[in-house]
Amino acid sequence: MGSSTVHELDQDFINSFRSPATAGNRIRDLNPISFAIIMLSCSVTAIALPGPAGPAAICLLFAVLSVAAGLAKTFLPLYGKLFAVVGLILFVLRAAFLPGNHILWTVGPISISAEGIIQGLNFSLVVMAVCGAVTFFFAVTPMKNLMLALEQRGVTPRATYIILASFQAITDLGKNTKVVMDAQKSRGIETEGGMVRRTTAFLPILAPVFLAAMSQTEERALALDARAFNSRNRHSHLVSLRPVSSAEIIVVCAVALGAVLSIVGAVFIWN
Amino acid sequence: MELVSLRNVGFTYAYGDKPALTDISLTIEPGLLYGVVGLNASGKSTLCSVIRGIIPHFHHGELTGEVRIMGKDLLDWDPAELSKSIGYVFQNPFTQISGVKETVFEEIALGLENLGIEREEMIERVTVVVRELGLEALIRKNPNELSGGQRQKVAFASIIAMDADFIIIDEPTSQLDPDASEAVFGIIRQLKERGKSIILVEHKIDLMAEYADRIIVMKGGQVVMEGPARDVLVSDGLGDAGVPYPEVTELAFALARAGKPLSSVPITRAEAAQLVSDRIKEAPHAHSAL
Ligand SMILES: Nc1ncnc2c1ncn2[C@@H]1O[C@H](COP(=O)(O)OP(=O)(O)OP(=O)(O)O)[C@@H](O)[C@H]1O
Ligand SMILES: [Mg+2]
Repeated sequence: MGSSTVHELDQDFINSFRSPATAGNRIRDLNPISFAIIMLSCSVTAIALPGPAGPAAICLLFAVLSVAAGLAKTFLPLYGKLFAVVGLILFVLRAAFLPGNHILWTVGPISISAEGIIQGLNFSLVVMAVCGAVTFFFAVTPMKNLMLALEQRGVTPRATYIILASFQAITDLGKNTKVVMDAQKSRGIETEGGMVRRTTAFLPILAPVFLAAMSQTEERALALDARAFNSRNRHSHLVSLRPVSSAEIIVVCAVALGAVLSIVGAVFIWN
Repeated sequence: MELVSLRNVGFTYAYGDKPALTDISLTIEPGLLYGVVGLNASGKSTLCSVIRGIIPHFHHGELTGEVRIMGKDLLDWDPAELSKSIGYVFQNPFTQISGVKETVFEEIALGLENLGIEREEMIERVTVVVRELGLEALIRKNPNELSGGQRQKVAFASIIAMDADFIIIDEPTSQLDPDASEAVFGIIRQLKERGKSIILVEHKIDLMAEYADRIIVMKGGQVVMEGPARDVLVSDGLGDAGVPYPEVTELAFALARAGKPLSSVPITRAEAAQLVSDRIKEAPHAHSAL
């Protein structure tokens, strides 16, 4: 034994693998596939319900759910930003350029109509509801749980790996760009300043960043091969997901039914 | 049956200007620890890659001669089966992290998942290697945020946990401090005691003398010598390949040059201590013995 400190084995952490992974929250512990169906149904409902109240209610629902899931702190500011940028732009574009009979006011060549405002509101709220569903889904579902759920449903480890690695590659690309940028800067290459200068500085960065990404892919393939990743036997899993309860199935069915009913309504009643 | 046999094997990397291996004929017997020594670029890692089938399945190039692994021609092997049968700890610790696991514990378990090991056994086996290598403080860390030495330990642990009967280990301690190196060699000794077949590339010749049953000496892409560690480590061939002798062997050579050779040439410290103490005891006058 050397002079280095001897650390205790974190037995709680190890034991955590012996029971299904839990985030200690009903919503976050939903099976990723169940949750994906719920979010998809919500999007469909938002599209089918009469606007603007329908999609607005769905958007509000996400906000409320995020509080219930204990994710308000991360989800709400992000969703707010989406609203402020994407939602607002879509709304303004629609409202400004859609012709209508009830002109409210005119600014230069642009005349804004009541119909334009309603349509703009409808359209942007539907888009925001769909965005909200996707954003909320990824805020709630850790990538690895999603992959695990997919593998349990028979998706091959190879396919889930490619999805996971692609997400990872995007993050890495960002990181590498910063590293190369810093390297260029330290060699006296200008990377700051006006648009033109920044763009010209950026071009030579792309090559090393992409080359690095490609060689990393090859290295990863080797690293995975060393771990018998390509073996054709059934792979087992250290982490397990909670079994899907009948209550969960009922909730999923109810939400999906809601989506179906709203489509029926859209076809036969309110459109 | 022999584990691996190479007959007149040569290899040139796809973009290499000269062969990395030339005319290698070699037999690896099961249950032994083979040490591979040689200067940088002498072809040690390339030889490992051939024996593990990384060449030609992954690294492309021109492979000549015949390679048989466990009696079957390398080209007939399914790469996935090779990866289950032969463990391989690569030289570069930076390229061995899978990049898909969030904690070191899960990273080490990855190989076991791929082998389809049941959860309880998986936890058990990972915990054992974590203890053996002193990785307790790291198990919750993100593998992508480790130092070079930490990565090397995790990479080693990941392959050891898979418990293949034949393991190739390429410079496992290049980034490690003395304590960590000792832990790694402790495990290699245990593997050997459990009857595993091991090929170990290592520059620290004193450690080789301690652990290796046989030594393969490489120079310029050729195997210039292969034999029992005891013979190879005291031979001229070792020095000709530019590889240093064990410290105690150098000492014995120096004594021989001074006209006072020991009764045999030691390769380990323990042997040297024994020989020197014998010499002192048998000498009529202690002060004139050495
Ligand atoms: N991927 C590659 N592509 C082309 N040439 C390579 C590649 N890898 C190694 N080589 C060349 O093959 C030769 C043998 O390299 P190898 O890595 O086997 O040496 P080594 O004995 O393991 O050296 P070291 O002690 O530095 O690890 C070298 O001349 C090297 O330049
Ligand atoms: Mg090497």
